[in-house]
Amino acid sequence: MRKALWIPACLLLFFVGDRLGGFILSKISAESNFRYARLYQGKAEADILLLGNSRGLIFYQPYIEEKTGKSTLNLSYNSMPIDLGRVMVSDYLKKYKAPELLIIDVTMCDRHNEKLIAGFNTFSDYSEELNNLIKEKSEKSWYAGKISKLYQYNSEVFQRTLYYLRKSDEDWLNDQVISPTMQANVEQDSAVELTIDDYLLTQLNDLVLLAESKGVKVELVANPYYPPYVKKMHYFYDFIGRINAKTNKKVRDYSRALSEVNGFADYQHLNKEGSKKYIDLLLEDGVLR
Amino acid sequence: MIFNSLAFFAFIGIFFPVYFMLKGKARLWLCLVGSYFFYGWWDERFLTLIIFSTLIDYSIGLMLDKEVVQKRRKRLLTISMVVNLGFLGFFKYFNFFVESFQDLVLSMGMTPSYNTLHIILPMGISFYTFQSMSYTIDVYYKKIPVEPDLVRFATFISFFPQLVAGPIVRAKEFLPQFKMDKKFDWNRFNSGTGQMLWGFFKKMVVADSLAPFIDQCFAAPETFSSLHLMVGVIFYSFQIYCDFSGYSDIAIGLARTMGFDFPNNFRTPYFSTGFSEFWQRWHITLSSWFRDYLYIPLGGSRNGTFNTYKNTMLTNLLSGLWHGANWVFVFWGFLHGIYIIIQRVIGPYFGRLMDAMRLPKMGRASVNIFLVYTATCFAWIFFRATDFGNALDVIYGIGKFENFTVSSIVNKFWFVKGVIVIGLLLLVEVADLKFNFAHLVKKQPVFRAVSFATVMMLIAFFGTFGSNAFIYFVF
Repeated sequence: MRKALWIPACLLLFFVGDRLGGFILSKISAESNFRYARLYQGKAEADILLLGNSRGLIFYQPYIEEKTGKSTLNLSYNSMPIDLGRVMVSDYLKKYKAPELLIIDVTMCDRHNEKLIAGFNTFSDYSEELNNLIKEKSEKSWYAGKISKLYQYNSEVFQRTLYYLRKSDEDWLNDQVISPTMQANVEQDSAVELTIDDYLLTQLNDLVLLAESKGVKVELVANPYYPPYVKKMHYFYDFIGRINAKTNKKVRDYSRALSEVNGFADYQHLNKEGSKKYIDLLLEDGVLR
Repeated sequence: MIFNSLAFFAFIGIFFPVYFMLKGKARLWLCLVGSYFFYGWWDERFLTLIIFSTLIDYSIGLMLDKEVVQKRRKRLLTISMVVNLGFLGFFKYFNFFVESFQDLVLSMGMTPSYNTLHIILPMGISFYTFQSMSYTIDVYYKKIPVEPDLVRFATFISFFPQLVAGPIVRAKEFLPQFKMDKKFDWNRFNSGTGQMLWGFFKKMVVADSLAPFIDQCFAAPETFSSLHLMVGVIFYSFQIYCDFSGYSDIAIGLARTMGFDFPNNFRTPYFSTGFSEFWQRWHITLSSWFRDYLYIPLGGSRNGTFNTYKNTMLTNLLSGLWHGANWVFVFWGFLHGIYIIIQRVIGPYFGRLMDAMRLPKMGRASVNIFLVYTATCFAWIFFRATDFGNALDVIYGIGKFENFTVSSIVNKFWFVKGVIVIGLLLLVEVADLKFNFAHLVKKQPVFRAVSFATVMMLIAFFGTFGSNAFIYFVF
């Protein structure tokens, strides 16, 4: 049996190393300036909450803060699904006093994303609701995260947490101008078709009801697309119509509000210049105050 | 069933204890049933084909052994080749040839009438067909004795660790090992487990972490900068290496634990200083198969320079076609054929140039490694591309040298992770050349425990856990 001793020794080393590594990484992530790290560390109080997927990242916070004089927290993340967004806002409302305003880019309601939800394992120790969502949507990842603490940090979300360790994430925005090739190819490229899914619409409705029950004013918007691109999205108005019906709220449709090429980073995202113009529009329309 | 899945771990969790409890014929039966279960997990229809192929080659082997008339022996060998290559041709290449013929007819201004069939490609058909063919050829040439035991022969063809993606193990090396009694051996278990773990690292940490970046590059090359595409190609060179050599490591490790010795399939191929050397380090069991059963029978390098080049090119073209039913694979083989020929033609002059430059040995090796690696990467573009248009888009995208800045790389998190995991891989592979980790794992229990725990932690922290299939499964 002496020959087998290395096996328990190896497992013990793995267990100890894993727990120690996990502990160190949790301490590091707690120091980060990344939005979710701040959210769970009690350092994210804001007057205005912003929510969306990568298209929600175009709410350029420094400009909003400059124009409104109010603090902001953007909870958006690339490909974030609405159920995860609902949990983030819900966790915010549990931890902080209610913000004045919540702006949601409703185009985030077009997809499920179990993989990204699993990636938020990094913060699952801080939130029961998040923990439950991961268990429900990605059971294997949830169990893996319980077996290995290092696994909890095996995600792009944690990489971003490290990236923003010493810097602010408020200007996280793709600041390039749409390339001439992309502009030329817009007719050939197939457009994203927004999927209408009752589960996702219910999640949005639950989020709206929750926020309004806490006295938060909720604004639903559809952020701008590159105009020749949005023309190709066949179900866009059906999608908006279903959201209007489900939430009993009117979505403010800015999908075609901007037309200057220089304002776009690609077909679906504004760059900094475009974002500023869009924010000016939101101010003019009284969405932002 | 794929190695990096929970189903596989459950399978070996049951298989291994029973395997070591049984002996002799019962163990052989377990291997066979286990292998068919493993293979049938994908699609039970695949089993019909492998069983039929096994029965054909088993019967022909027996007949070859009894037959003394050379003409009839040759006929038997031909039947075996026709059946094996016929299966391979039908299941893997039927639609490819029909579509290529249609394109040819269309290009001549005619309108062809044709039908393609909905054929599913049985996993690993190229691997087990070659393994089976080598048996019949060796029996024909009386290099090996015939295998009279059907169960042993069937297990040789379907042995689950290497059934789907190699290494291709010759009957001469493999069949005699079934006859030896295999007791549980700690040395084998230790080194086998180590090699499997390293295989999982290569697959889950390196290959699968690089995959999303590469998939994005090749899906829409026109949308990315030159540097982004170049990084994509470099990443692909590591993805394909780690995916395939990772599978081989797991297969070899599994077999070693069970008491079988398989030949090594990869030896740090990107450290090759020449193209011929590359093929002695990359997919070694396939390269040696082509060398022994195609290149040498064609005449090898025996009949003058032209024939040598012709045989080299033919072997490489067929090696390309073996990989897949697409002209891009054939072109990939063509490029490697050209590389070897060019090396033979200009190699001596290049050597003199190096002498004249008085480069130190290390510098000279570095230049050679760089040149071989760059040319190999160029060929990988065709291997990865969906068609020639896709490959040319990637080459054009890189060649235009537009936006050659780090900031032009989209999704830097995939990029950063890719750089880190490739760095870890190279660190271990370079250190291994000096320290010989396999030996340390065998001899030093403390090193074994620490290194295994470290690799497990790296897999937990960097690994991609999605039961992603191995690239070579489709070959």
